[in-house]
Amino acid sequence: MNCIWIREALNTQRDIFTVTSIILLETSRIKVGIGITSPLVRNISTIARAAATLSQIGRGRFRLGLGVGGLESLVKLGLDAARPSALMRDAATLLRRIWRGETVTFTSDRFCLSNYYARYKAGFATPIYFGVRGPRLLALAGEVADGVILSGPKRYMKKVVAAVDQGLRRRRRRMKSFRFIVRVPTVIVDKKSDLYLAREAVATVLADTPEAVLEMADIARERVKPIKAMIAEKGVKRASRLVAEDLLDEVAIYGNPEQVALDLRSLEKYRIDEAIFGPPYGREPAEAIGKMVQAWKKLK
Amino acid sequence: MEKAEIDFGIGLNAYEAVEEIVGKCVEAEKLGLDYVWIGDSPPHLYYSSVAAAVASRTKRIRIGLGLLSPLLHTPDQISGSIIPLIEAFGDRFEICLGVGDRSQLSRVGVDTKLPRVWDHVLKAKRKIAGSLSASGASTRIWLGAQGPKMLEVSKSFDGVLMNYASLGMIKWAIDKVKPDAQKDFDFGIYAPSYVYRKWHPQAYRLLCIASAVVALGALGAVLDEFGVGKRLQRAREEHEAGARIESVVKYVPSEVVKSFSIYTPSSELSGYLRELGDLGISHIVFGFPQNLSKVTIRDLANALPNR
Repeated sequence: MNCIWIREALNTQRDIFTVTSIILLETSRIKVGIGITSPLVRNISTIARAAATLSQIGRGRFRLGLGVGGLESLVKLGLDAARPSALMRDAATLLRRIWRGETVTFTSDRFCLSNYYARYKAGFATPIYFGVRGPRLLALAGEVADGVILSGPKRYMKKVVAAVDQGLRRRRRRMKSFRFIVRVPTVIVDKKSDLYLAREAVATVLADTPEAVLEMADIARERVKPIKAMIAEKGVKRASRLVAEDLLDEVAIYGNPEQVALDLRSLEKYRIDEAIFGPPYGREPAEAIGKMVQAWKKLK
Repeated sequence: MEKAEIDFGIGLNAYEAVEEIVGKCVEAEKLGLDYVWIGDSPPHLYYSSVAAAVASRTKRIRIGLGLLSPLLHTPDQISGSIIPLIEAFGDRFEICLGVGDRSQLSRVGVDTKLPRVWDHVLKAKRKIAGSLSASGASTRIWLGAQGPKMLEVSKSFDGVLMNYASLGMIKWAIDKVKPDAQKDFDFGIYAPSYVYRKWHPQAYRLLCIASAVVALGALGAVLDEFGVGKRLQRAREEHEAGARIESVVKYVPSEVVKSFSIYTPSSELSGYLRELGDLGISHIVFGFPQNLSKVTIRDLANALPNR
């Protein structure tokens, strides 16, 4: 495996930057990324210095995933996710200015820096990956980010490259310099009944998928509405029964370890540079990850 | 006040390279110091990541984090940064909460003029202690306090860290706290320091700058209490008009530097420590520029009793 991505869950008692430091300290080769954190949750100067510290600790192995954040979590925290393009553009620009050692004065409704400068030296470059989905934000990623972390249906992946390319062209950037990373819910299925795990993961992903993304994937929103409603009413377990076979295939990768490894590799055809073997993994997650790693090694 | 056994620590600036900070902490442990304190401020590196790097290369030394401002980090973020450290490296961490450096906080858009700010810090302490306890972890939580109100609030904490060094000011502060007799409570100081074997003008200049930062950030009421307010007026006016601290320092009288710093030849340190012990001080953190190099850290360690 080349990289570990740690996902920030706002309702846990573990600070993602501290956990990532410990992982970087315990490893020596593998890249470690945060995928993703939101510039709405911490002061932008805190994200800048945390990322710079991790890049120093990992000697360049750290990658920062930045996104607006899950709508539901933000609402719970009383945070406003309106105008995400301005938020993401400003966040990336400010982070880079701080890391370059500039004295920054900038005011918007989200950020307020006045004659601020870092006393530390960033030392190692920190690549910024946007965890975004809609066409406008994908184009913005092409303009200002080093890559994107995607999630969603496979038909959507096909259209992502074109959306990002618009932004790349606006800045005369080359596609080669940009990385496409995809996080896929993956399940090692030992017996057919394990498929419920994949269905639950797909129900969760679909319920959280913006309409623009469903449109890009040619999935009628009427097919997702009842799943969303059932999650709200009776929970994800019941909603998973509404996930049809074609939606399961569109969103998740599942099967025996060899099949899963082959399917992950097949994502190359969508111009994906890196696939994240994402949860729920299998009935016994640790065991499933072990099997998957073995299958991946054989395939390589 | 009963004479206290004193723990000694060194304060580290978290704007040097992580490797450099870790190297100094390894040295401090070798030299027998009890604590390293890793500061936190918007222009510095991230405290808990630096602490993880230090903990991964040391075994015994206790690691203090702070001053951490609940105006900058939410209580959940603070407890969330301590819990993984304790899980990974054991029960070696303590934190110090406080309002923080108002000038640095306002540069990153933090409103430091909250009414009843002490109440805000106290609520944060309770929430952090609750979250730690819910995860089966615990840590000593200090309050960084200076003015009368914060000193009074500090008795709800496990200890108070004051940022002045004159015996008169410390005695005044201790009288203000009045902790419950039954409670395990520690008085500590964390002040700019220069304990030297061979005096160096550059280190002294840095001490003057560090002391000026503390003095100019002090509450007017505290400065007036000790008759320092008027003598700092020129420096304060220039600083408020935007002059950098390095150019203001010449207006800070040397008595003020002395009040806000531990400044002594190593041969005379033990006398000062005895007096602090008599006042009930049980924790001393030697701040910048004592951490300037491994040599200045060694000079300090060699001057401490029973090292």
